[in-house]
Amino acid sequence: MNVTKLQKALFSKTLLRGCLSVGALILAWELGRRLKVPGFAAVPAPTEVWNVLAASIAEPKFWEHWRASFTRVLSGFVAAQLIGVPLGLIMAMGRAFYLTTFPLLEIMRPIPPLAWVPASIIFWPTTESSIAFVIFLGAFFTVVINVIGSARNIDVRYVRAAQSLGSRPSDIFFRIILPAVLPGVFIGMAVGMGITWEVVVAAEMIAGKSGLGYLTWSSYVGGNYPQIIIGMISIGVAGYVSSSLIRLLGRYVTPWQRTS
Amino acid sequence: MTQSPTRGGGISIRNVTKIYDPDGAKVLAVDNCSLEIADGEFCVIVGPSGCGKTTLLNAVAGFHSITSGTIDLDGRAICTSQHTQEPSAERIVVFQNGALFPWYTVLENITYGPEVQGRMNRREAAAKARELLAELGLAQIAERYPGEISSGMRRRVEIARALINDPKVLLLDEPFRAMDALTKGVVQEFLLRALDKVRKTVLFITHDLEEALFLGDKVIVMSTRPARVKQTIAVDFARPRTYRVRSSNRYLELKQQVFDAVHEEARKAFDAGEREMA
Repeated sequence: MNVTKLQKALFSKTLLRGCLSVGALILAWELGRRLKVPGFAAVPAPTEVWNVLAASIAEPKFWEHWRASFTRVLSGFVAAQLIGVPLGLIMAMGRAFYLTTFPLLEIMRPIPPLAWVPASIIFWPTTESSIAFVIFLGAFFTVVINVIGSARNIDVRYVRAAQSLGSRPSDIFFRIILPAVLPGVFIGMAVGMGITWEVVVAAEMIAGKSGLGYLTWSSYVGGNYPQIIIGMISIGVAGYVSSSLIRLLGRYVTPWQRTS
Repeated sequence: MTQSPTRGGGISIRNVTKIYDPDGAKVLAVDNCSLEIADGEFCVIVGPSGCGKTTLLNAVAGFHSITSGTIDLDGRAICTSQHTQEPSAERIVVFQNGALFPWYTVLENITYGPEVQGRMNRREAAAKARELLAELGLAQIAERYPGEISSGMRRRVEIARALINDPKVLLLDEPFRAMDALTKGVVQEFLLRALDKVRKTVLFITHDLEEALFLGDKVIVMSTRPARVKQTIAVDFARPRTYRVRSSNRYLELKQQVFDAVHEEARKAFDAGEREMA
């Protein structure tokens, strides 16, 4: 059953169509280069990039950049979930707490994570911890807002039905409110993951000594143009892999969402 | 009328008044309303939209307080102006748009009550639930999520979810609203068959007069808001009932009676609405 599913997924039209757009982009890029379209003069051709990429992936240093970025993203992201989800729940449930904290949240939220970089570097003892903090912020607000939103939107019928079936308050929390907010938590995670990658790359460009953002920026500074493209593609692939993992996890944790 | 012994469940609503006061604008929803529902009786309340029927049902369920009067269950006050007894599994509500928990399978929805009440462990509850599902002809959907089954099936599951708790009272707030006529007929018969097996006191709210006559032992017509009892009509068809009841002469007679009473109130509600608009 699962094997046939996998086969279907691999040879499906969906996958084919997805590859089509990637292929078309590479083709247009190569053509632009060969036909000497203005602007493409200094851009390395896909073939050049491919050659450098083949050399790069053999080097452990290249993967070290991957590892550095992934570690940062993961730690900031997990921290944002661990703090953001409970905080969002408490804010949604306690009216007084909500009224006290929401204005602060709304003032902090519009500040772009990157605007935090200077203050973060001054405040935190190491560059690494300041980058982690900025990444954390990138995901944190999205998570909190999504949890508050979905907790407040829980249909009162579910709570009443649960009460009428004899629930204690703890049952209402663990069996009604938590599962009801889970889909919202995963939406927050997916959006948060996207922001996290944007932030990590920018932070590495400004302050990093490693990572895919650093790789991209240092390639530019060092004049290694094909490697700029490799850095960019790596970031794209890394982001895609991360959000796919979130989607998979979401489907596994909220199986009822597949249907409605 | 009673096929099997019940475990109580007589409801007595006496002089109940409910005034909503959201922001200073007082709204009289229920006005000095009194009615009695005997043990194991199926009582249907009909009345114009927004007349306060649901307010009354929610007070019996324990979802909100009343302004004055008393509601007794088996001679014990469960709702007065001073005190509202918390909702519990002795009075289970089935809601207008359905409230099966989407995150639980059909089986998990049904075992929810026995589990949270601590009456059964997960294993026992699942066994009991499967037994009940089989008895009600729903065994094949036990592992599905509510989102995967039809609305008619969902209503049946919701009734099963209530019945497994052996409540004293079933409170149904327009449970079959917005269903197509055929599905509705099937689900109504399902409810009757389930209640033929275990008699329960039922308070059932509907707009649908045919439904009221087909299901009820007694139909109470409410006045337009504020809700008062306008007329009580005894429905004396023998049980178990089938859809054939609907083509009897007695049915037509009763229908005429109920229709006359309701139509007058609907007219008043409509006119009041027009005045409000002008």
